[in-house]
Amino acid sequence: MQSSEVISVNIWQIIISILNLLILFIILKKFLYKPVENMLAKRQGIIDNDLENAKKASEEAENRRKLYEEKLTGADEEAAEIVKEAKQKAQRKSDKILSNAKEKADDIVSQAKTDAGLEFKKAQSEIKHEITEVSTLLSEKILEREINKEDHRKLIDSFIENLGDEYDGHE
Amino acid sequence: MNENRYSAKFKAVDALLLILAAVPILFGIALYILLTPASSGIEIAGARIYFTINMPLQPLPITEAQVNSWLVIVSVLFLCLYLTHGMSPTRPTKRQHIVEWAIEQTQHLVMDNMGEFFKDFAPFVAAVMVLSALSSLLTLVGLYPPTSDLNVVGGWAILVFILITYYKFKCGPLHYLKSYTEPVAFLTPLNVISEFATPVSMAFRHYGNILSGSVISVLVAAALQSLSAMIFGRLPGALGDIPFLQIGIPAVLSVYFDIFSGLLQAFIFAMLTMLYISSGFPEEDYKEKLKRKALAK
Repeated sequence: MQSSEVISVNIWQIIISILNLLILFIILKKFLYKPVENMLAKRQGIIDNDLENAKKASEEAENRRKLYEEKLTGADEEAAEIVKEAKQKAQRKSDKILSNAKEKADDIVSQAKTDAGLEFKKAQSEIKHEITEVSTLLSEKILEREINKEDHRKLIDSFIENLGDEYDGHE
Repeated sequence: MNENRYSAKFKAVDALLLILAAVPILFGIALYILLTPASSGIEIAGARIYFTINMPLQPLPITEAQVNSWLVIVSVLFLCLYLTHGMSPTRPTKRQHIVEWAIEQTQHLVMDNMGEFFKDFAPFVAAVMVLSALSSLLTLVGLYPPTSDLNVVGGWAILVFILITYYKFKCGPLHYLKSYTEPVAFLTPLNVISEFATPVSMAFRHYGNILSGSVISVLVAAALQSLSAMIFGRLPGALGDIPFLQIGIPAVLSVYFDIFSGLLQAFIFAMLTMLYISSGFPEEDYKEKLKRKALAK
């Protein structure tokens, strides 16, 4: 088999060589650089997405934390409010009960006082009556005669009046 | 990408792609063994011609250089498919880490050497590096390295020259012509010469390095053969025919010429590509032109 010269120039071989280099360039670009670059872009996309998601998640967590904190402080305040209101209500109720009771007691006392006064008066008049009767009877017996009832009554009345005064004074 | 990475189907596809990446190289070796005549001694020759196509201007011989380039390209294609197979944005495999690292490295290299404007050049620079490096490394399996053919490397250099000129033309033909008269007008002839010297020097540097490596390897092998015939030739029988000195020493040379020099030249070619294209491009003027255009609108 023949061999070419060590140094020979052939225009077609040069063109073939240029085309070979261009073909290899296209092969490398299409089958090596493109897929790898696509893959790297995809990886970058995934990383960006993950970072974005993480950021969003942490923001949401922060928001929720704030919300719960607000709610917690609100709940404390609400509880304090409720307790305060309840206390006030209880205070009002107890005040009312106390005042009612006092009123009632006062009523009872005043009632008792008027009752006692009435009883006393009643008793006084009864006693007066009794005494009048008894003294009339006694006087009749002693004097043996009927005295003028009208005069007698006046006499006794004045007597008892004095007696009552004396009694009242003793009180 | 969602398929299960441990399924039998996935593993089968993986293995198939790896095999398909290796097949072109094995095919090249088989072709070499089948079509190369039994050792015709030490010779320094160009690529073997498989067949010749009649074309206008010049007949086109399809040589080892072309065929081996295509084998490298096919192999790289399946290697790319293997490397990107089963990539996942969330669960990267070891393979994926390596790919990502390599791609980031080329992108950083391009960004550092060419600037922001040329950041899409990463695949091109990678293609230059991969094609050059793998072509040179073909010598490791005994195949003819396409980079030691002037036409192959010359083609790349011409492509780079076209790119350089394209980016110099970005500010219009007047600006392009004016760039030759800088810094002073009487340097114009020198500027023109240096412009055309760029692809020539790039092509010859790369091609010369790889070819010289092959030539030196052949020469050293021949020298070692004669030397061992001289020293051990007096040994009795078949023992005298064994070139003892050829054991080991060529391997050391191969580490330098095939691996180190091949990779270094690939890197140098890629670096020069980046530097020439970006330094020829009048970035400031181009930006101003864009600004003026935007204002005119």
